[in-house]
Amino acid sequence: MRIVVVGGGPAGIRAVEQLVRAGVTPIWIEEGPDGGGRITQRPPPGFTRDHAALYGADAGRARRLHATLDAMKPRTDWRPDTLVWNIRPQDKVLHTLTNGAAQGEVAYDALILCTGAMDRVLPLPGWTLPGVTTLGGAQVALKSQGVGIGANPVLIGTGPLLWLTALQYAKAGAKPAAVLDTTDFLTKARFGAGMLWNLPTLLRGMGLFAQLKLRGVKLHEDITPLAIEGVDGVTAVHWRDAAWKEHVTPCDAVGMGWGLKPEAQLADLAGVPFDYDATQQNWVPRKDVAGRAPVAGVYLAGDGAGIGGVEVAELAGARAALAALGDAHLPSDMALTQHLDGRLRTERRFRKALEQAFPYPAKLAARMEDSTSVCRCEVITAGELRAAAAADAPEVNRAKAFSRVGMGRCQGRLCGTPAAAVLAKALSVEVPEVGRLRGQPPVKPVPLQQVG
Amino acid sequence: MKKALVIGGGLHGLSTALHLARTPGWQVTLLERRHVGRHSSGVNAGGVRRLGRALPEIALSVIAAEMWQNITALVGDDCGFRATGQVKVAESTADMAKNEARVAQVRALGWSHEEVVDQVEVRRLLPAVSRHVVGAIVTRDDGSADPMRTVMAFRRAAEQAGVTIVEGVAVTGLEATAEGTIRVDTDQGPYEAERVANCAGAWAPDLAALTGETIPCGTKASMMIVTERLPPFVDPTVGATARALSFKQTAAGTVVIGGGHQGRNDKAAETSTVLFGSLAHAARIAAEIFPCVAQARIVRSWTGTEARPPDDMPVIGESRTLPGLFHSFGFSGHGFQLSPAAGAAVAELMARGATNLPVAPFTQDRFTVPA
Ligand SMILES: Cc1cc2nc3c(=O)[nH]c(=O)nc-3n(C[C@H](O)[C@H](O)[C@H](O)COP(=O)(O)OP(=O)(O)OC[C@H]3O[C@@H](n4cnc5c(N)ncnc54)[C@H](O)[C@@H]3O)c2cc1C
Ligand SMILES: Cc1cc2nc3c(=O)[nH]c(=O)nc-3n(C[C@H](O)[C@H](O)[C@H](O)COP(=O)(O)OP(=O)(O)OC[C@H]3O[C@@H](n4cnc5c(N)ncnc54)[C@H](O)[C@@H]3O)c2cc1C
Repeated sequence: MRIVVVGGGPAGIRAVEQLVRAGVTPIWIEEGPDGGGRITQRPPPGFTRDHAALYGADAGRARRLHATLDAMKPRTDWRPDTLVWNIRPQDKVLHTLTNGAAQGEVAYDALILCTGAMDRVLPLPGWTLPGVTTLGGAQVALKSQGVGIGANPVLIGTGPLLWLTALQYAKAGAKPAAVLDTTDFLTKARFGAGMLWNLPTLLRGMGLFAQLKLRGVKLHEDITPLAIEGVDGVTAVHWRDAAWKEHVTPCDAVGMGWGLKPEAQLADLAGVPFDYDATQQNWVPRKDVAGRAPVAGVYLAGDGAGIGGVEVAELAGARAALAALGDAHLPSDMALTQHLDGRLRTERRFRKALEQAFPYPAKLAARMEDSTSVCRCEVITAGELRAAAAADAPEVNRAKAFSRVGMGRCQGRLCGTPAAAVLAKALSVEVPEVGRLRGQPPVKPVPLQQVG
Repeated sequence: MKKALVIGGGLHGLSTALHLARTPGWQVTLLERRHVGRHSSGVNAGGVRRLGRALPEIALSVIAAEMWQNITALVGDDCGFRATGQVKVAESTADMAKNEARVAQVRALGWSHEEVVDQVEVRRLLPAVSRHVVGAIVTRDDGSADPMRTVMAFRRAAEQAGVTIVEGVAVTGLEATAEGTIRVDTDQGPYEAERVANCAGAWAPDLAALTGETIPCGTKASMMIVTERLPPFVDPTVGATARALSFKQTAAGTVVIGGGHQGRNDKAAETSTVLFGSLAHAARIAAEIFPCVAQARIVRSWTGTEARPPDDMPVIGESRTLPGLFHSFGFSGHGFQLSPAAGAAVAELMARGATNLPVAPFTQDRFTVPA
């Protein structure tokens, strides 16, 4: 039985753990040099800050995950620095690229995809300037290299990651010039109640808020970002407060992010159908509660299967592995399965509230000025996209064919969400009606010399 | 008004419908199963090429080239057409000899668009070309256009000429009526017309088979890859004499590489998938001819499907089993360039039963009647 796990984050670690427990030796593939995933991203060897400094309140989790990660490596066929860039589902074969140079093919009987998520962005005038990055990018810079994106960054967006990043920067010695949250207090308060399902996490969120205040970081809610100013780098952010007063905040960098979006291109290439999740405002690959995709032999877990956060990622990773084992008539822990199912149900309710409390500002995206570039790879403006809509592009794939939006190196991973919002508004339809960009291999750029 | 139906909203269907609607007395409806440009016509490499055509195709291709030079007059948009030239490089003296023989043959037939050039000239045309390239055949006023833009321009022109385009309707049957017309069954009810064009691309031979006519035909699933943007280094579209390659840098800077390398096709599902094994081959050839792309990274790949008769030439002609039905398919990976002229020919065949345009070599009889 060849089981392949893609992704060495929390979901992948917990999936592999269950497989090894059942006596299976999976092939375990991770794009990065080490496992840990996003939230518990590991610094390179020789890096000295300890877990507490790096991961704050998540230090305990990070320690546990890293211990399992290290214990599992020798008991699996662990392949770091290896990108899975294509799937041939008919043949059950993955295409891999190791160290950016060595090409490989990996055959599987069962495939567990734990590919994580990436930030969603809201394009603004100036967002393509050097010095502007995603919140995730800002965090990764801090966690894996110990350098921030700037000494006085402005952080814009919404969601727990916004506050968390701000606090991590404050603790690392930077002084965030401002934290600009596009969500108003009422929305957060209204749906915050739903988060009582998970009191500890809710309290942590509130704790974050308090700590930021304590450190004198300026927090503004219900803001509208207007533009990022600068020539060769960032010098200021223009924004409008809830009372429509305009502000200019000087800064040396910008981190921005509005929640997360599943990195589900591999599921797409595997032939898994997608559904629109209106709460998450994301297209999500279809799966059952255990993580089974409707494509035989394909299992999905973690943020790549729909945003659930780290707790869900760990639970769902283990659950998907148990499903794969059970389907292959290998020993699987029934009691654990039941326990996981119960926990996952509770977490889902919490998550729903969380997403509602921090919505993607699709309205702001839809109102973007004609001159703002939506697609930074191909430099396509909102105006060009609207022209495509006028030229009869009732869905995103045709808008892509007409305007080139999403054709560049990111393959629409970044611009897909705002482009859909712009297009839907231009066509006066709801966002799900304009569909989803179909995935095309490679999922990330691959050197020409190395295909095949 | 006489009624005509065109099946298939690719460029050949659109072009046929456009020309027929501009013929007095015809009312044209086009039926497309998905949406206009969904298959080959929307995803091809946009090469507008006479260079290297099979001899029986040259005459039609030359007429098409003239239409491309004036494409705005035909459809009201320039379709992104740029006459940047097509170059087919020679990598050995054997290639050069082959090229000289080829051009002599083309010239003997009275055509002058193909020209042999030496190493000095090929380096002038393609400064980034590998030093081992010894010469080339060029057609200086060939070029390329933007496929999706072309599809939309043809669509708009057809609609302005009075064509009714219906998307999301699949033809499921064809039958002669007692009145001498053709009944066209679809998944949304029947249509009836005096003339019908079968421009259903990869699926056209299946429609012919529904009328009891077997036309030998395989399918092609040509693949393309695209690199990240690179600084501009090549204007013309480039091919090779002895190896399968088509290579073009777009205005955006990306390099589009193809050349007929085949992916996997699933006709029933209307999908085709990239097979990277054979694309690797294309990538290798590209990097050997343009060393500057060796380090480039691929960002995207795709395939498109179309019909391919055994001799790689289209089938254009009236059905032998259902009079009034006209086939136009099987362009075998090079029908983009032919579409303005082929559509004009098919429209004439439908309206008058004859055409002066040079499509006689393409009847399906070539597979059944011994030469
Ligand atoms: C940048 C970023 C920062 C985040 N920070 C926090 C935080 O501080 N706190 C918090 O609660 N949540 C955070 N999240 C959310 C958090 O990522 C998840 O809740 C949790 O990490 C999900 O675990 P996972 O295993 O599903 O995915 P991840 O942790 O993202 O792990 C996925 C792994 O799969 C690998 N991978 C993906 N595609 C391929 C491929 N094609 N080939 C090979 N390997 C591949 C990736 O390299 C990665 O290591 C963050 C998310 C992002 C994107
Ligand atoms: C990757 C690739 C690169 C290419 N590069 C070039 C190039 O550089 N230069 C060049 O000259 N040519 C090129 N070609 C070839 C060119 O694209 C085709 O020859 C041309 O587009 C064929 O057009 P068509 O209208 O016959 O077929 P299509 O565009 O495939 O249209 C057929 C249409 O019929 C519809 N249809 C099918 N069945 C039914 C039914 N039962 N009912 C209703 N509708 C139906 C389909 O949905 C489809 O839209 C390339 C092709 C590919 C795939």
